[in-house]
Amino acid sequence: MENKKVRNMDELKREYTSIPIPAELDQVVQSALESGRQADSGNASFSTQTGGAAVSDAGMRIESHSQTGSRPVSRPRSRSRARRSWAIGVAAVAIFVAGLNTSPAFARTLSEVPVLGNLVDVLTVREYKADKGHYEADIKVPAVGNLGDSSLEHSLNEKYLAEGQKLYDTFMAEMKAQQAIGEDGHFSVDSGVVIKTETDELLSVGRYVEETAASAATTIKYDTVDKKNHVLLTLPSLFKDDRYIDVISENIKAQMKQQMAEDSNKIFWPEPTEDIPDGFTQIAKDQNFYINSSNQLVISFDEYEVAPGYMGVVEFVIPTEKLSSFLSSQEYLK
Amino acid sequence: MNKPRQYELITEFVMHNKDNFYRLAYSYVLSPEDALDIVQDAIHKAIKSDTLKDETAIKSWFYKIVVHTALDFLRRRKRVTVASDAELEFRDTGHEDHYRNLDLEKALNELPTDYRSVVVLRYFEDLKIEEVAEMLGLNVNTAKTRLYKALKLLRVEMEEVQIEEAP
Repeated sequence: MENKKVRNMDELKREYTSIPIPAELDQVVQSALESGRQADSGNASFSTQTGGAAVSDAGMRIESHSQTGSRPVSRPRSRSRARRSWAIGVAAVAIFVAGLNTSPAFARTLSEVPVLGNLVDVLTVREYKADKGHYEADIKVPAVGNLGDSSLEHSLNEKYLAEGQKLYDTFMAEMKAQQAIGEDGHFSVDSGVVIKTETDELLSVGRYVEETAASAATTIKYDTVDKKNHVLLTLPSLFKDDRYIDVISENIKAQMKQQMAEDSNKIFWPEPTEDIPDGFTQIAKDQNFYINSSNQLVISFDEYEVAPGYMGVVEFVIPTEKLSSFLSSQEYLK
Repeated sequence: MNKPRQYELITEFVMHNKDNFYRLAYSYVLSPEDALDIVQDAIHKAIKSDTLKDETAIKSWFYKIVVHTALDFLRRRKRVTVASDAELEFRDTGHEDHYRNLDLEKALNELPTDYRSVVVLRYFEDLKIEEVAEMLGLNVNTAKTRLYKALKLLRVEMEEVQIEEAP
C-alpha cells in the first residue's frame, strides 16, 4: 500500500517534469525581460520600502552561489539598506526589541499586569502590543520573582524574554514577507500566561502562543518549579530511569483510543498511519508537562502534534498509580 | 539593492530556471498559452518590484511571485469564464490528443488550488515544507495538514484511475 502511493507520486512527478516546454518559452522570457526593464526604467529611483529581508530571515538558501558571486560589492550595501527601511517601517516595534536586547530595566516601563491576587509577588506579566492594520501582535512575557533563588528566577526570566523576542521576530518576518510581495495579508500573534498550579510547594506556569495566518496554531510550554527547594522540575528528574517514556506513551495511546471510542467527535493520531506518518509514537524524553493541583502528572501536546487542529492543545492526565514504581521521589506526584 | 543589480539577478535566475517556472505556472492553469502569460507577467512584476532585499532570497521570492500570479490569473478567469460541460469535454479530448500527462492533469484538477500549491511545490519542485509554508503565507503545521489532505485526495484519485485502466 505504502509502495503504491510512493510509486504514484513518483509517476506524477515524472509526468510533471515531462510537461512539454513550448518552443516559445525562450522568446517569451527574453522579451519579458527586455520590456520589463524598459517599462521600469522610469522609476528606478530610491523609494521607501516596507518590505525587507524578510524572506531571508526565514532561512532561505540560494541554489547556486555562482549566480551571486560576480558582483561582490552589493551585498553589504543591500543589507544596510534593508536594515534602514526596517527601522523606518516599524520604529515603535523596534524600540521594544532593542529594549529587550539591551536592558532588562526597560521592560519595567511596559505595562505590568499582576496575575491573580496571591501571585502578585511571584508573577508579573509584561505586555507588548502592536496593531498595524492586518498585522497584530499581543505578546505577554511573564516574569517570576520571590522564588527564593535569584539564579533560578534569572534563568527562567531570561528564557521568557528570549521566547518573547523570538515571537516578535517571527511576527516581523511574517509581516515583512507578506508585504514584500505586495500581499494585503493577515497575521496575528497572541501569547499569554496561564497558571496551572499554585500551591505552597509547586508552581506550574504555562505560556501559550496562538499564531493566526490563514488558520491558527497554538503552542504552549510549561515550567514547573518546586518552590520549597527552588528547583525547576524536568520530566526525567521525576523518574528513576527512562522506562517512564514507554509507560507514559502506552498510557496516552490507551487514553486516545478510549476517548475516540467514547466520543466520535474526538480524533487523535495514536500511531503513524499511511495518511498521517507523523502520528504519535512516544513522548519525548523532555515532553511538555506540568503537575496539577492534585499532584498528578499532565502531559501536554501542541495543536496538530497528536491530533487534528480542531482538537486544539491536548492534555492527558497520567494516573499516578501507573507511575508509582518508576518515581524517583514520592514528593511531587501523589 | 539597486535596480541594475536586481535586474541582473532576475535575468540570470530566470534564464536558469525558466522551465521550472513554466511548469509551476502550467500546473495551475493547465494550458500552455496561459502558462506563458503567467511567466511573462511574473517577470514583469519581479522587475518592477522593489522588494528583493537579499540576493540569497531570490529563489523563494520569485517562486512566490509566480504562485501569486497564477492564483490571480485563476481568480480572474473564474470570474469571466463559465464553460459549458460540452466545452470542457471538448477541451479534455483535445488535451488527450496532445499530451501524455493526462492523469497528472486529472489529479491536479481534482485538487483545490490550496492543496495543489503544497503538492507541486513540495513534491514536484522539491522545496522544503518550511519553504513552501513561507511562500504560501502559512504556518508549517497548516502546510503539513494540507499536504496530508492533498495526498489523501490524490490517492483516492489515483485509485480511480487505476480501476478505470484495469482490463
